[in-house]
Amino acid sequence: MNRPVAAPDTRDIDIERTRLTDALAETWKTPSGIWGALATVDHKIIGRRYIFTAFVFLALGGVLAALMRIQLAQPEARLLGPDRYNQIFTMHGANMMFLFAVPVMEAVAVYLVPLMVGTRNIAFPRLNAFSYWIYLAGGTLLWTAFALDMGPDVGWFAYVPLSGPQYGAGKRADIWAQMITFTEISALAVAVELVVTIFKQRAPGMTLDRIPVFVWAMLVTSFLVIMAMPAIVLESTSLILDRLVGTHFFNPAEGGDVLLWQHLFWFFGHPEVYIIFLPAAGMVSTMIEPFARRPAFGYLGLVMALIATGILAFGLWVHHMFVAGLPRLGDSFFTASSMAIAIPAGIQVFCWLATLWDGRLVFKTPLLFIIGFIVTFVIGGLTGVMVASVPFDTQVHDTYFVVAHFHYVLIGGAVFPLLAAIHYWFPKLTGRMMSEALGQWSFWLIFVGFNATFFPMHILGLEGMPRRVYTYQPDLPWHGLNLFISLSAVILIAGFLLFFINAIRSARVGEVALDNPWDAPTLEWATTSPPPSYNFAMIPVVGSLHPLWDDRDSLAVANGLRTDRRELVVTTLAAAEPQAREASPRNSIWPLWAAIATAIMLIWSIFSPWAVVWGSVPVAVALIGWFWPKGAPEDES
Amino acid sequence: MAGVLLGLAAALAGCQREERQLRLDPPIADALDKIALMPNRIGGAPPDVYFVLGRPYEVNAYNLSQGKRLYAWFGCKSCHGDGRGGSGPGFLDGWWSYGPEMVSIFASIRDGRPHGMPAFGGKMTTDQIWQLAGYVQTIGSYEGKTAAPSRNDEKQTRPAENRAPAKLLFDEGPSPVHPDQGPTP
Repeated sequence: MNRPVAAPDTRDIDIERTRLTDALAETWKTPSGIWGALATVDHKIIGRRYIFTAFVFLALGGVLAALMRIQLAQPEARLLGPDRYNQIFTMHGANMMFLFAVPVMEAVAVYLVPLMVGTRNIAFPRLNAFSYWIYLAGGTLLWTAFALDMGPDVGWFAYVPLSGPQYGAGKRADIWAQMITFTEISALAVAVELVVTIFKQRAPGMTLDRIPVFVWAMLVTSFLVIMAMPAIVLESTSLILDRLVGTHFFNPAEGGDVLLWQHLFWFFGHPEVYIIFLPAAGMVSTMIEPFARRPAFGYLGLVMALIATGILAFGLWVHHMFVAGLPRLGDSFFTASSMAIAIPAGIQVFCWLATLWDGRLVFKTPLLFIIGFIVTFVIGGLTGVMVASVPFDTQVHDTYFVVAHFHYVLIGGAVFPLLAAIHYWFPKLTGRMMSEALGQWSFWLIFVGFNATFFPMHILGLEGMPRRVYTYQPDLPWHGLNLFISLSAVILIAGFLLFFINAIRSARVGEVALDNPWDAPTLEWATTSPPPSYNFAMIPVVGSLHPLWDDRDSLAVANGLRTDRRELVVTTLAAAEPQAREASPRNSIWPLWAAIATAIMLIWSIFSPWAVVWGSVPVAVALIGWFWPKGAPEDES
Repeated sequence: MAGVLLGLAAALAGCQREERQLRLDPPIADALDKIALMPNRIGGAPPDVYFVLGRPYEVNAYNLSQGKRLYAWFGCKSCHGDGRGGSGPGFLDGWWSYGPEMVSIFASIRDGRPHGMPAFGGKMTTDQIWQLAGYVQTIGSYEGKTAAPSRNDEKQTRPAENRAPAKLLFDEGPSPVHPDQGPTP
């Protein structure tokens, strides 16, 4: 197998185009058939799977939301009992946060970041495959449990003592905690891959100030994941230990601490909000350019705002705990830091407004969603500043006001940009365009339906309706608004249905897309739609922030990579000067075995502590198989 | 996929173990009250409906944890302690004065027993008595049930019920075996 490293016939120098692409296609291909599909490490295939799965979870979570709205449409409704309702609102929250919002952002990044930085695969592609299988297993665990009347019922943040051993009967809270473990593992894996891809695999010439804003956003997000997730790893593990073997992490009578739960959770949970929002903000900054027909205003400001948000994200968590009885000084500090987040958020909003102001706008569906995002997110941000103030928060804590606030921030701030992104990058994902007419219809239905559904919740909250109640009495003044909200939700659901129909239909029979249908400036549009398995026949060389606008006719490329094995260019961190040719791992089935072994160990450990001992044996076997040195070319230095 | 397989394996037990019946239908509660005891009031048979429901008070996590709360609320601790006994007999030593069957425990709680065990029939609903009986049986079980409650948020005096404390704390004691008091553990 060991050929001479510099065998001239295998490099891509002085080779005709078709022979080059044929050789690359052979080297990078994913074999057809089920085995090939299970063993693939192509970031595009895995990214598409990730996105598809996340949208399945979005649809399932939407069904739960619809059930809750039917139940609350009238007082004393009998559709759902209190126990089922508890499970449904917990499932809705946990599913949307852990199985949809975070994974879908990482999924889009798994697909796009390697294309946007001009490389051939994500760093650690086998880890990437592993992370998808783990994510799928975690989602399957949660929904299987729900189908068995075993779904968590303790709220998506599962406060102890409610979720603790004394009050959380059965295995419901353990299902929640272990689902968290699955999503933690997959999120951490993707975060590490993205950091390495962005730092070391950028196309030659893509200096730090030529990185697309979405890629910057994913870099900051990945660091947030790496620093925030360990807190909840610790926490979900402590909870399972408390519940299964009787440790006392959260038992005050034995020196444990109940408040510790809230601190650990929100030390993760608040950065989590930005783990969801920052990618969305990055998408907007990137997508706004082709639709405003000008570069985004204030690149430096946008990137600095992302970084500032990322740092501030770790100094805000106590604002979720204002009614927990913390010292006044602490409350004041966290009020100030919470309000400070408005500064970087404001910088971004004004940069977007300036871009739109000066642009020649092209009103296609993605731009509509972007404008919808700006409007909705600003409203959500304003109520955010309101609840950052302790006296106000004390009044509206745990009411529908908070429900309205975070749906404005999460749907307005993340789902709208995501829908824009799906419409925008759909041609790159599938090779076909989404229908513009259906897209505009779905935008207006979603935008109107969303505001009509969630704005009245502010008023309900001020009228004192608590969140998480399964019903309310007829003499309370809430039923008019609740009925209105439930009817508006029909519009919102219709909009999402239309979006799904549009996506499914367009994927089959949509108009075939050009390589760069939006005339966009970033590198992912330099290759075909959808890209070939090797992404770029030649690695592009970047000379500006908008390579496809500034070098319209002739994009410079680098050569010298081998065609008979998977190779990509490693560049320096800041200046992106070429450093080395690096092998990229080939397809492997071992990530799947490792994921199955890990899933068995984690699920078993809900029921018996011995699972950690005996379950670790298959995991070790799978990892040994995964890392067994094969003496194949990919192991050459 | 692995999740599905393992989930389905846990499914059959899971469904029943996790269900939460917040209120029994009155006719079912009535039927559950009609146990058939042996003449010496030790051992017997629960009503048919108990089996139709799938022995919910032995395998259902919610019922067992409700039983644990009732154990505290109705003052069982004042005589039986944390299960190791006090002025009343213990449940953890593996010896049952009237046998370990659910009906015997149910009858002890509902009708009382000689030497100080009061009757709780008038103070608790049938549902609650069954829940408490299931919990008391769990304390003395030699096998940790998956559905058994875990520790409480209070000072720990013994391993929680899901750790099968009776296996650790079995104590033959000075008294000999009484075959007339039901099967030995």
